[in-house]
Amino acid sequence: MKRGNVISPVALFGIWELVGKLELVDPLFLPAPTAILAEAWSLARSGELFVHIGVSLYRVGMGYGMGALVGVSLGILMGWSKRLEEYLDPLIEMIRPISPLALLPLMILWFGMGDGSKVIIIFKASLFPVLLNTIAGVKGVDVKLIQAAQTLGANPGQVFRKVVLPASLPTIVTGLRISTALAMLAIVGVEMLAAESGLGYLLVEAEHVFDTPKMFVGLLVLGGLGYLWDRLARVAQNRILVWHKETTLEGKV
Amino acid sequence: MEIKMPLINACNVRKVYGDGQGESTTALDDFNLVVMEKEFVSIIGPSGCGKSTFLLLVAGLEPVTSGDLLLDGQSVNGPDPGHAIVFQEYLLFPWRTVWKNIEFGPEVRGVSKKRRAEIVSRYIKLVGLEGVEGRYPHELSGGMKQRVAIARALANEPKVILMDEPFGSLDALTRENMQVELLRIWQENRCTVIFVTHSIEEAVFLSDRLVVMDAHPGRVKKIFPIPFARPRKREIISSAGFVALAAGVKGLILEEEGYQQNKSIQGKEGE
Repeated sequence: MKRGNVISPVALFGIWELVGKLELVDPLFLPAPTAILAEAWSLARSGELFVHIGVSLYRVGMGYGMGALVGVSLGILMGWSKRLEEYLDPLIEMIRPISPLALLPLMILWFGMGDGSKVIIIFKASLFPVLLNTIAGVKGVDVKLIQAAQTLGANPGQVFRKVVLPASLPTIVTGLRISTALAMLAIVGVEMLAAESGLGYLLVEAEHVFDTPKMFVGLLVLGGLGYLWDRLARVAQNRILVWHKETTLEGKV
Repeated sequence: MEIKMPLINACNVRKVYGDGQGESTTALDDFNLVVMEKEFVSIIGPSGCGKSTFLLLVAGLEPVTSGDLLLDGQSVNGPDPGHAIVFQEYLLFPWRTVWKNIEFGPEVRGVSKKRRAEIVSRYIKLVGLEGVEGRYPHELSGGMKQRVAIARALANEPKVILMDEPFGSLDALTRENMQVELLRIWQENRCTVIFVTHSIEEAVFLSDRLVVMDAHPGRVKKIFPIPFARPRKREIISSAGFVALAAGVKGLILEEEGYQQNKSIQGKEGE
């Protein structure tokens, strides 16, 4: 890790600790980092923290996995077939602007208070960036590249597998990455509104009893998970798209 | 000397681009050309004369509107590995290494892995790409990319290789170098070449015959046989015979052309 990556968090926590220790601000509003760490430790030792993390990750994983699967496959079909895109586009543009959280009451009615309603909402949140990016990726494949493959003897199936798919992969991966962030946002919202477990629930529960350190633990875990997730996604992306990395701005930085 | 057979036979070929409702452009009309086996034919002409269109027709990427276009006695009917095309923009697959790009043709045709390895290494050697097999296209210079594109086309062992201004985007020195290389490759690997270019010098240097085209509609204006012995050295371009021939071609292209087209040809030639 580069030194620049460490300076800003260390400085923030240093000043914060000082403010906390000198009690410049009421600890009810801003507990010191050490107090938060102590809280995190006790939550971890009791296992409570990991239960919440596990539940949230399970819901995100299921919803996101379904969204990615449907988004990529439907997106490929819609990018490939102009007719299918014309049929489905109005429907998609009607559903897309609806906030995932707005679906919650109806989903609870349909699927109950359990994981089902949450998974559906994460699914809704992750689907569209993947779907739209996949459509754009497939439609954006250079026709001349396809012609080159055809003159080399590729049949339609081979053109699809060996040209269209790899050529649209960078755009598809971008959609997959955008969706991970949206899924994380949606899960917290859903769990704050209607859940008995999960990281969103942890935050609301802490608020009810004015347990400020616990709120901070929830926020830190969310930040940490998001960060880890993004790092992992980047590594995966660079692995899959070795050929693409160095032809783009990201590779030059 | 071996007896050469006609490989490509274009007879009254007409190609009209259009939507079928009035708006149409005639790219080729009454186009006649016979290309012999193992012949190197260049096509030159003003922009919009349909020379690239002719390549797309032979490649099977565009259908003829009317007339006959025969390859090896059979009507061209869609793309086929027997007629390969090399484009100015290389059109390599960016996610495939040099090796995998060249392997693409034999791979999709179902050639066995072992045989593929033999073919690829042979053409890598032929075009002088040893040592860069594992690189991706973005790591190569323009000249090297075009070598990969040529090797990729040759790996299918096509009867004819169609080249659409293949050196158009290379710098002058690389371009001269690639012309010499192309002749060497063609000498070692005799297949039929149809080469579209804007450069008279390039066309005269490379070809057995040089086809000059007229625009609007595109048709053959005159065909020049190029008499220089092979293998040719780069030096011949300054010989009196070469200069006179090139001047004759230029004069023909410039005559009967409007002022605008004169300008565009002279501009292109300066590349």
